Amino acid sequence: MRLGIVRGHVTLTPAVPELLGLTLVVLEPVTMANLRAKNGLGGGKSLVAVDALGAARGQMVAFTEGTEAANPFWPNRAPVDAYCTLIVDSITTGKS
Amino acid sequence: MFLARIDGTVVPAAKHATLEGCRFLVAQRLEADGSAGAEPLVLIDLLGAASGSTVLVSTDGDIARERYGNTTPGRMVVMGIVDPVQGTGRAA
Repeated sequence: MRLGIVRGHVTLTPAVPELLGLTLVVLEPVTMANLRAKNGLGGGKSLVAVDALGAARGQMVAFTEGTEAANPFWPNRAPVDAYCTLIVDSITTGKS
Repeated sequence: MFLARIDGTVVPAAKHATLEGCRFLVAQRLEADGSAGAEPLVLIDLLGAASGSTVLVSTDGDIARERYGNTTPGRMVVMGIVDPVQGTGRAA
């Protein structure tokens, strides 16, 4: 999983049936330098992920990419390749 | 699979229901020359890897599905902790 900061939400009208009712968030991935600096900046190339946890704008999440991102919809299939797996409360980094 | 160095731990405020009780670590992917990747990764740890240690990570979600069920989005799992004595010399 990578880390990303929620920068906004996406609403689709219309959308394919598989995505109806899902919450989509725009994520900005966080680089190691920005994570260490705790400056609230991301720095990566943004992407859209499904969020079922209710992450708010500005919160940091860890997101799964690839086919595993569609696992939560099993046994149904979903055209999803990024999924918010956890919302970060805090991160403790030790020695580098 | 790839090698990564553990940088710290993640405390989740919320997580997917299948991953209740899991330990999450922040790590950086290691290149062959020992340099670290620019983006941090969050790993599921089953083995108790300590901060600073080098681990082997699999990006296949199979072991996560086996342990946490078919609906888990878990993917990157720590498969082992690299023995620093037998490592590249840069480990640990």
